Amino acid sequence: MAGGQSRIELLQGTLDVIILQTLRWGPQHGFGVAQMIRARSSDTLQVDTGSLYPALHRLERAKLVEAKWDRSGKGQRVRVYRLTAAGRKRLVAERTKWERMTQAIAGILNPPITEGES
Amino acid sequence: MRWPWQRRAREMALTEELQSHLEMAIEQRIQRGESPAAARDNALREFGNVTHVAEVTREMWGAVWIERLHQDLRFAVRSLWRSPTFTIVASLTLALGIGVNTAMFAVVHGVLLRPLPFADSDRLFVPSYAMPPFGATPRMFDDHYVQLAKDTSIFEGVAAYGTSTRTITGVGDPLRVSASRVADHFFSLLGARPQVGRLFEETDAAGDDGTAIILSDAFWRGRFNANPSVVGTSIVLEGVSRTVVGVMPASFDFPAATDVWQPWRVVANPKENVSFIPVIGRLKPGLTDEQAAQMFSAYASHLPIDVGPPRQGLVPALTPLKTVLVGNVRTPLLIFSGAIGFVLLIACANVANLLLMRVATRDREMAVRAALGAGRWRLVRQLLTETLALTTLGSVAGIAVALTTLRLLSVLAPANMLPRADGIRIDPWTLAFTMGLAIVTAIVCGAIPALHASEHRLRASLAAGARTVTGGRQRLRSLLVGGEIALALVLLTGAGLLVRSFDRMRSVDLGFDPHSTLVVTVDLPAARYATAADMREFDARVLANLNAIPGVESAGVINWAPFGNGGVSSSLFPDDGRKFAGYSVGALSVSPGYFRAMGIHLERGRAFTDDDRANGARVAILSHSVAEKFWPGENPIGKRITSSEKPDPSDWLTVVGVVNDVVQAAGLVRRTGPASRVTSSPAPANYVPLTQTNVPFFLRRVAFVVRRHEDAPSAPIAVATTHILREADPNLALETVASMSDILGRTTAEPRFQSRMLLTFSLAALLLAMIGVYGVLSYNLSQRQQEIGVRIALGATPGEIARMVMRGTTSLVVPGIIVGLGASLALTRVLGRFLFQITATDPTTFAFVVVVLAVVALAAAAIPARRAARIDPSVLTRATG
Repeated sequence: MAGGQSRIELLQGTLDVIILQTLRWGPQHGFGVAQMIRARSSDTLQVDTGSLYPALHRLERAKLVEAKWDRSGKGQRVRVYRLTAAGRKRLVAERTKWERMTQAIAGILNPPITEGES
Repeated sequence: MRWPWQRRAREMALTEELQSHLEMAIEQRIQRGESPAAARDNALREFGNVTHVAEVTREMWGAVWIERLHQDLRFAVRSLWRSPTFTIVASLTLALGIGVNTAMFAVVHGVLLRPLPFADSDRLFVPSYAMPPFGATPRMFDDHYVQLAKDTSIFEGVAAYGTSTRTITGVGDPLRVSASRVADHFFSLLGARPQVGRLFEETDAAGDDGTAIILSDAFWRGRFNANPSVVGTSIVLEGVSRTVVGVMPASFDFPAATDVWQPWRVVANPKENVSFIPVIGRLKPGLTDEQAAQMFSAYASHLPIDVGPPRQGLVPALTPLKTVLVGNVRTPLLIFSGAIGFVLLIACANVANLLLMRVATRDREMAVRAALGAGRWRLVRQLLTETLALTTLGSVAGIAVALTTLRLLSVLAPANMLPRADGIRIDPWTLAFTMGLAIVTAIVCGAIPALHASEHRLRASLAAGARTVTGGRQRLRSLLVGGEIALALVLLTGAGLLVRSFDRMRSVDLGFDPHSTLVVTVDLPAARYATAADMREFDARVLANLNAIPGVESAGVINWAPFGNGGVSSSLFPDDGRKFAGYSVGALSVSPGYFRAMGIHLERGRAFTDDDRANGARVAILSHSVAEKFWPGENPIGKRITSSEKPDPSDWLTVVGVVNDVVQAAGLVRRTGPASRVTSSPAPANYVPLTQTNVPFFLRRVAFVVRRHEDAPSAPIAVATTHILREADPNLALETVASMSDILGRTTAEPRFQSRMLLTFSLAALLLAMIGVYGVLSYNLSQRQQEIGVRIALGATPGEIARMVMRGTTSLVVPGIIVGLGASLALTRVLGRFLFQITATDPTTFAFVVVVLAVVALAAAAIPARRAARIDPSVLTRATG
């Protein structure tokens, strides 16, 4: 286990968006979701299973994802999550929000020094 | 929500899911080259505590909303607990509003909504001719009933019934019972079964007087101690011995309050006499209500009406039995429900106002909660939960209020005002209604404050916006108070109209003088008084004794006393051969002293005397309007009249006098002019001497009228009268031993009760509305203390400040009054049917109510206004500056 320091714990609301985003690439089981998040963030984001599974089940309950049992390549029974139409919609909305917020925060943290710069 | 076993399955699935995760992680590590043991250890470490993960995941399934509701509720209870005054005032207001509404629902449900206790009761209909406007059951002619019973195209069966009061003798004191005579298949038509013995059979009915008898459950328990071997016992009813054949169960009470049922076979003889009898019928299977109504109309229009007395203007109608049973109270009950609903609305407006003020003081709390990330919907929900906790508290107390109200109602309401009153109780239906009401009330009261409070979040950061929000709430509060005033005005107008109508009803000129008169009614049974002579002899004997009581000014006897039960009218013709189609007048037999005893004024000619003997010249006294109709402007004395269409010489009566018209019957209510106006008016009548009345039917039921001297005490005379009648025949049951004023009071008991009820509601509404005015003004002024202080410092006099406050009040009250007037004009029309001699838009009532409301509103405003005028500017500027 390396680089524990550089990993960031995720805020709850953010995790939901990230999971939704991850599922956009196709149905995935919980382990796969965790692997993908880690891989796509270049190992920066650490997803605790104690956050991941509650989030998946919460999203399922909110009907943003749906789950069904499937067989993995090795014939193991796995629970696979898939984005629903509502989940897709929510993802678009959350991403817009996220972009506006990051812009705003960036604006505060990196104030333009001279006019015309952005 | 999930069932426990479903949950167990889900838990096992979750374990499997987490297990698969772990195994995949181990697999991955092994593929990367770790040893199986190390891979397992590392994967487990990375995974964390499996039990904990499972636990936090499980929390996501179950009922998140229940979790939140629980949280909200706890918070609500804490927050209500912290402000006990608010909680008590608001929940008491709601308890009153919800309580009386619950009571009203119990009444409406018990009387109107509950199905009738008969098999397939929605197939039971009452075929009749025209629905009388009030009271009486719709009826049809006996000869038509006999025809209808033979025809099976519309009804599976029809059964006639009728109720009268009869005397049971033989055991103890003579007892008056309610006896219903019913066609033999009456019970089977209703799907009823006896609890003991049998029902009537065809052989039981023999014309008017079969000897079988069926007892009601109450009578069986009261008189026979619920003895099951009662069947076969004899009962002496109206002097005739009858045999008990069965007992009905307690659930069977139709016609209402019947003690005993007698079999009845209707034998119609239209050439001699037609009577108007109530009939029920069960529709043939397969017929819809509409089809049946059409078929009955068509059928009835072909029934003979040319035999017997004139029968014009008949409108056949097929009415559901339930409508007949509760039709008369339907509209009043719905009006009362509406009125009580208004009271609840006003209470809601007050609570909403309180909540708005409370929200204003919680701005900071809301802002903090919003800052901590509570969404707007979440804040709204929190506030609504708080209101729901409040209304729940209110409805629990409200059930106690409802129970009290129902008990009061049963004491205060005139007896027998409500049919099916035994079904009025707080049952699961009522409780469900109360629960629903609590939720609706919470939404009505809480929605506006909650939405407003949460709005704060959007503007919390804008310091300047805060004032705008407050201004918005101010407008809202004024709006709520305006609405309260409008609602109160509607109720007050309704009550005002009923009170005025009742007043008119009481001041009606009855045509007789009800003061200082005592009335005793008796029925003379045919078994012991077979002939007219027997009965006349009894009357004369009693009258002689009554006249001898010290203090009695005059005693008389009449067969159908005013405001008694029943009466007979017949056609009447003058001797010149003119016919007045459809004109019929009351046919009354009286003793010579009757007019004086009743205080009826003799306008012309003479009263009857003892010289008008049975074998003497036949004479009559007409009431004013009959004389006017037959001989307008002429002297009718000496003219001759007859009630027979083809008179024999002996059928002619000579008019010897004219008396004023008398209001004869409470039930004699006639619609005149616009359909909504009802008047009970003096009726035309033809009086003949008792001594010249030979038909026993006309003498069976007589009322003795005793007038005492103004200064004579009433009690000893009443005692003496009772004593004399008991002496004359100990087997007679005395009915209505009462002063005429009391009898009149009874007939106006219902309108009096109605007007009092509505008056109570409207005063409650007025009070609540005034509390609203007071609350809003006080709060307004407390917010404006500084402004007022500055005004006073700048030289405004207390008078000017008070005037300013009053102007504010006017702007609060006047729009409310205008809206209320409009609503009243639209709504009081429903009262039209219950108003006597005034219209539903009576300008006097409207003006009076507006003045009352304005004065009371200004009075409510006066206290805060005075307080404002006394503000000491120096204190204020220091305190707030």
